[in-house]
Amino acid sequence: MTTPVVTTSGGTPVPRGKRPNPRIAQFKRTWYFLSRNTLAMVGLGIIIFFVFVALFSFTYNAPSDHLQLYCGTYAGPGGVPVNISGACTQVCTYPTGSPPPAPNCYPTDVNNPAIVPPTINFGTFHGGPLPFGSLEVANNQYFYNIFDGLIKGAPWSLGIAAGIVLAGAAIGLVLGSTAGYFGGLVDEIIMRITDIFLSIPGLLLVLVLLAVLGSTIPTLEGRVLVLMAAFVVTFWPTYTRIVRGQVLVTREQKYVEASRASGARSGRILLRHIVPNSIFPIFVQLSLDVGAIPLGLGAIVFLGYHIFPSQYFPEWGSISANAVSQVQGLITTCQAAAAGGTACIFPWWQLFFPGITLFMFAISVNFLSDGLRDALDPRLRR
Amino acid sequence: MKMWIYIVRRVLLLVPVIIGVMTITFAIVSQLGVGNRLVSTLGPNKFGYSPTIPCSRLVPNETGLCPNPAYYNGLHALGLDQPIWTQWAHYMYDSLTLQWGFTSAHGPTSLVFGEQQLPVATVLSWYLPYTLELAAISLALILLIAIPIGNYSAVYRNRPIDQGARILSFSGFALPSFILATLALVAATVIGGGFTPQCGNESFPYYQFVGSWPQPPCLPGGVYPSWLSTNFQSSPTGFPTIDALIHGQYWLAGDTLFRMLIPAAVIAFGAVASILRFVRNSMLEVLNMDFVRTARSKGVSESRVVSRHAGRNSLNVTVTVLGLTFAGFIGGFPIIEEVFGLKGIGLMLALSIQPPYDYGLIFGSTLLFTIIVVIANIIVDILYAYLDPRVRLG
Repeated sequence: MTTPVVTTSGGTPVPRGKRPNPRIAQFKRTWYFLSRNTLAMVGLGIIIFFVFVALFSFTYNAPSDHLQLYCGTYAGPGGVPVNISGACTQVCTYPTGSPPPAPNCYPTDVNNPAIVPPTINFGTFHGGPLPFGSLEVANNQYFYNIFDGLIKGAPWSLGIAAGIVLAGAAIGLVLGSTAGYFGGLVDEIIMRITDIFLSIPGLLLVLVLLAVLGSTIPTLEGRVLVLMAAFVVTFWPTYTRIVRGQVLVTREQKYVEASRASGARSGRILLRHIVPNSIFPIFVQLSLDVGAIPLGLGAIVFLGYHIFPSQYFPEWGSISANAVSQVQGLITTCQAAAAGGTACIFPWWQLFFPGITLFMFAISVNFLSDGLRDALDPRLRR
Repeated sequence: MKMWIYIVRRVLLLVPVIIGVMTITFAIVSQLGVGNRLVSTLGPNKFGYSPTIPCSRLVPNETGLCPNPAYYNGLHALGLDQPIWTQWAHYMYDSLTLQWGFTSAHGPTSLVFGEQQLPVATVLSWYLPYTLELAAISLALILLIAIPIGNYSAVYRNRPIDQGARILSFSGFALPSFILATLALVAATVIGGGFTPQCGNESFPYYQFVGSWPQPPCLPGGVYPSWLSTNFQSSPTGFPTIDALIHGQYWLAGDTLFRMLIPAAVIAFGAVASILRFVRNSMLEVLNMDFVRTARSKGVSESRVVSRHAGRNSLNVTVTVLGLTFAGFIGGFPIIEEVFGLKGIGLMLALSIQPPYDYGLIFGSTLLFTIIVVIANIIVDILYAYLDPRVRLG
């Protein structure tokens, strides 16, 4: 005679195969609510598009004619239409006033990119060479293409953003679950350290850390790692707080109690029960931060920190910040030109395309994050 | 737990946080390099500030390198030759006794102040009021936008108005502030015509939107008034608009206010998303409560239910979030202030962390912002406990 099997769910064992894993069930439930949210789905679609661009960028070689100016009719200096026919094979950066050194060249004033026409490839933007991160910028002698920069920058931007938030979330998960689960002195110490890091102004912390660590590092990869580390230092406290708050709730659940009663050790309870059940709120914050990081990178570049000063580094935030700096100087130039009676073509495309890329990425991530929050919070579900 | 015990406990917990912030700031900033520090404090030296220099012919040495007197004298003068913990103790003592030191005479801020050492606390008190005024205007704009729209979004939940508000507020979050600020400046310049009369190089509308004050040709008398110092410190209060009013120059008061409107709108647009979200969600929560149903069943009109019964009760959370937002604002808006050329604390801070660094100002401003944020946290917590008695203290 066999002894009856007693499980935690009652006297009779439930057949394993019939019952879905509760975590998969939660995932399916979340996905169901998420998929009914139009904005979140639009956001998810845009993010997937950007990820595909990032993957595709490794096979993308900028056409050689992107380094050159397009032929056709453009509004030239003073608004006079300039008709350039034939092969424009040379980038001519001679001053607008002087005679052209070669026929069929478009006169380009390096000090006034406003006269560079918008082309189908989103216009040129002077400041660096085209291939990503290899050639040295020789004082405005090269042109690079914003379109190419944005494509080549996609893996950098997405990679940096994902790396920062994943590292921050990992630290937050470890510290937060430890603090929340053990409580007492451990909790007190970890949370005070978190408070300290939350209280230091974030921008200052990032800039000073970059100045301390970044100045000595000669390689691009090393500098990017330092950049990510500096951002992680400002991001982890938020995750620690979120995880701790959630763990404090999870810790009191019946299944944790049951696990403890059946003799599980702390490590097992934490890893098998508490962490998997406290992880969902992180995703909301995670997706929010992913969108904010390229904007933050742009902000520090705008404030004068250059990730790799001697090279063109295609990263969405940096491209936008460079474009903005150029455009800012042009406002007065353009006004002076306009006051002098000459027409001024304001190079809006230099600002628009990097800006719209950053914007689309950040807003789609926000839509997704908002949808995720609604899907995870039973009170906010429709 | 009694309220005062709670407050005392919170204030006591504040001490390790402030000490920790100061220690971490000290640890990081002291890594910025002795050379930079010597240059920014003592100014350029013909020997430079490397520890060793090539020996002169008179004092030969087998390595060819001799100790640099300028370096060691500089270290001694600044107390950097002492052990690191002694330096730390000095720093802590001075900071806690409110001796916040001086700006560096040869640091980045010498671009603004010339080569002179100014007390850090004085510099902060010059630039903070402007930012406070800008922050207050931004916050007022945020409130004007967030509370009505948030309430509407909650009432008309998931209808077009809710989705529209959501998209609008998210675009504020997703637009980089440097791009938005530049676009706003370009748009203002192109549309042109400000409050300021056309004079001097202000015939370019650009200058009517850039800078805290109009350029001298536009001012009455052609010069800055005597109560506005060359460092753009206005007296007696330091708040530009209030000072102009005190001195009876109403036009100038209007102009300074006008110059803050576009930056404040840009700031508000960027920050409104989170507050709108809080207003909406807390309103949603309140609208589902029993007393709202009771009010409706009594026959109270819907608009009165929303404005009186639910509106009042949903503001608790919003108040706390607003407090924290304002505390964050006091740290300044380096990007907005840079784009619009405003003389605020954020611009000063962004300047002070350019090499060779203004150490006094970095230390001073970090400490000040930390104290403000920490105190605001406590005030907000207390306020929250006071507004919502169900919050368990402890």
